[in-house]
Amino acid sequence: MKMFSQSSLLFHFRQSLRHTIRNVATFSKLNTKYVFIGAGHNVTAERVNEFPSCFSPTLKWLSGSSQGLAHSIQCRLLGSQAAIEPSASDGLTVEGIIANRWTILDETEGDWKSHAAAIAQSIQLIKRRLQWKQLLVRVELLSAELDKPDIWDDPVHAGKVSREHGSLMGKLKEESMKSLARMRRDSKEKELRALLAGEQDSCSCFIEVQAGAGGTESMDWAKMVMQMYKMWAQQRGYGVTVVDEMPGEIAGIKRATIKVEGEYAFGYAKAEVGVHRLVRISPFDSGKRRHTSFAAVAVIPILGDGASHVQINESDLRIERFRAGGAGGQHVNTTESAVRIVHIPTGITATCQNERSQHQNRASAMAVLQSRLNQLEMARQAQMNAEHTKSLTEISWGNQIRTYVLHPYRMVKDLRTNYEVSDPDSVLEGDLDGFILSYLSASLDQVGYGS
Amino acid sequence: MKLSLLARACCSSMSPVSLRKYSQNQVSQHRRPMISSQIKPQIPLFLRPPIYSLTFSDLQKWQNWAKTLASSVGSSFQDFDHGPDSTLLRRELNWLMEDAIEDYSTTSRPGGCESRQKVKVRVDLEELYGLWKQRIEERRPFQYLVGCEHWRDLVLSVQEGVLIPRPETEMIVDLVCELVVENDWFKQGLWADLGTGSGALAIAIGRVLGDYGRVIATDLSPVSAMVASYNVQRYELQDKVVIKQGSWFEPLKNVEGQLVGLVSNPPYIPSDHICGLQAEVSKHEPRLALDGGLNGLDDLVHLCYRASSMLLCVGSLSSATTITNGEEQCQFLVNYMKSDLGGNFCYVKIVSDFAGIPRFVTDSPRAENHNTVKDGALKTIDHFLTLL
Ligand SMILES: C[S@@+](CC[C@H](N)C(=O)[O-])C[C@H]1O[C@@H](n2cnc3c(N)ncnc32)[C@H](O)[C@@H]1O
Repeated sequence: MKMFSQSSLLFHFRQSLRHTIRNVATFSKLNTKYVFIGAGHNVTAERVNEFPSCFSPTLKWLSGSSQGLAHSIQCRLLGSQAAIEPSASDGLTVEGIIANRWTILDETEGDWKSHAAAIAQSIQLIKRRLQWKQLLVRVELLSAELDKPDIWDDPVHAGKVSREHGSLMGKLKEESMKSLARMRRDSKEKELRALLAGEQDSCSCFIEVQAGAGGTESMDWAKMVMQMYKMWAQQRGYGVTVVDEMPGEIAGIKRATIKVEGEYAFGYAKAEVGVHRLVRISPFDSGKRRHTSFAAVAVIPILGDGASHVQINESDLRIERFRAGGAGGQHVNTTESAVRIVHIPTGITATCQNERSQHQNRASAMAVLQSRLNQLEMARQAQMNAEHTKSLTEISWGNQIRTYVLHPYRMVKDLRTNYEVSDPDSVLEGDLDGFILSYLSASLDQVGYGS
Repeated sequence: MKLSLLARACCSSMSPVSLRKYSQNQVSQHRRPMISSQIKPQIPLFLRPPIYSLTFSDLQKWQNWAKTLASSVGSSFQDFDHGPDSTLLRRELNWLMEDAIEDYSTTSRPGGCESRQKVKVRVDLEELYGLWKQRIEERRPFQYLVGCEHWRDLVLSVQEGVLIPRPETEMIVDLVCELVVENDWFKQGLWADLGTGSGALAIAIGRVLGDYGRVIATDLSPVSAMVASYNVQRYELQDKVVIKQGSWFEPLKNVEGQLVGLVSNPPYIPSDHICGLQAEVSKHEPRLALDGGLNGLDDLVHLCYRASSMLLCVGSLSSATTITNGEEQCQFLVNYMKSDLGGNFCYVKIVSDFAGIPRFVTDSPRAENHNTVKDGALKTIDHFLTLL
């Protein structure tokens, strides 16, 4: 199973490489033929995300495989200090793999050696088509020329050299970078998909945010967190609907639930479960003091029709209309038709108030309740298999996972992976994929793939 | 098979043929000027063509103005007459935009539009300002603003002169559904909805009945009859649901004794309570739909009294359900039905709504009763067969 997913990953990588080779061929014809590809650093899984200029090391999947291979292949764009010798700590390189002369079987085969060899070959091919060696020589020459202390004695010549060098680097960044970046994104996406192999990962989900203690401060923070997820989900092309939202008295929200619909919504969002902490100068404090606020995030998968759902007895339910004051009926005309459903045996409740009819509020609340009960049941079963037991709150709300600091410095840091960025604004605008990816890869490494 | 045969056998004089007669009546009635040509149903906002175009920034300006207006209300309406608070009004504002803007999902997304981008809407900017002013300053109900009410899984057209269906009323359909799923007698029989208003109950019930099931709905108010007919058409139920203008049972004369079920939400508010209700109700909804006489029981009592003669095998087989004001009226009706109309209604009970208020009085027979009758009827059929 595990071997299979590695193979399929490499297989996709092989396909996207082929695509790139085709592209590269086109732009050689356009005479923009400057790309550097080399084998570079060995990047271990946990460092992937800290290594912005690397070509994503898909082949890291090979590490820890039953053959005991531990290596990675790096394709790296090189700067003007260009020609770093292709090498990897374990000695395996593109050239090395090619030298092994592993048989390249059909793409449909699940043989990782074939895929690795095919990829290595493709990389070689790309280099050849881009006349890589000549380029390398040319750039080295130009760099050396520019490094000469007396080059500017002849300004005309120096200008020419530096212009050629510059345009070469410029094109390199623009054109070839694009192709490589696309490939990198592609393979990163594939890499992620391989992380999302859990049974419920492909499901849609509910995301719930609940304000921690601390009144308006925390409610405002909870609202920011919810907004972050709405934007994240929209940017990923998921459907987003608000199911339940309980506004705070002064600002923010006490709690809210959104439904995120689309493939792998749960797989990604589950990485966000836990308590999120904010440090900032409070906009609500006239004394302008620093405040710390908390918001808890829970993520619940919405199982497909095929999955086994917990059976709910009608008689176990109490359906309440809330915030319905007074005599009701003909006496009252309100657009408020919020419904709360209580599952009496477990005490689990679900609320919905954002639909325009009571009937639909009830249906939505019922869907949330069903998913909660399913999740509870899954947790219960998992617990029976696991030695240690977690409390229910721990299962649904988790521990503190991330800190967002807006003052005195600016940073968002994940406590589980130590992944951090210095631009909280972009994170709060939904740029969460870095955090999610790093958490997912880290948690998978913990599981220990090779063993 | 046998069941549907039986249902028809029991309402033999109410064959699909005579029902068709009603549909035709309805159609011809429609052409009569009295109902349709003077007053026309208003098209709900969300169904109107998006022929107006605004810049996104103009729309935003309006939205900000409307939001501020909503926020300025705070809890003042609530404190004054249990009207809406600003949270609710802001939610209504979003729904108004949802109905008025063609591509609401893009428009409402943060960064979804540029300020000079054109947005297609179903009313012009002036009317948008006007509508929201009416909502806040005149307390015109939101549902009249947008010309519709979401009720159960339906979107019903409503307008001034027609009661806006209430969430509590949804539950009557659940009670009817319980009967219908278990029993073909109810599924294939003739139902009546008295004082249908927007047609809410009639339409929802019409959608759960079987091929032979029909609903006749009546209302005294011509506007209601017209809007109900319009809603029936929108849900393409003309073959199943017939709307008749007239007082309570009066338009049902020729189906006397043939109904398997009867539902009604008649006016039940005591006359002198009405002016104290929230402004949305007291100033804007039709008095005819609310005023139940001195103690609110006038129409309820009338309906219960007459129900027994309208229902088929009343008491043992058919069902009657009505909504009330709350516990007191429920109790009164139960006593009335059991003692004064004793013998006619055997299974009278009170059901509470989701807010816990005793709301419904229903007399729904047990399934066994149908089984005994079924046996009897089958024997009769057998008897006829042997005669043949
Ligand atoms: C409380 S409303 C109920 C409307 C609708 N059934 C609903 O639940 O939304 C009462 C309805 O009874 C109608 N009505 C009042 N007096 C009537 C009468 N004498 N005969 C028939 N209908 C009447 C009113 O026009 C109004 O539509």
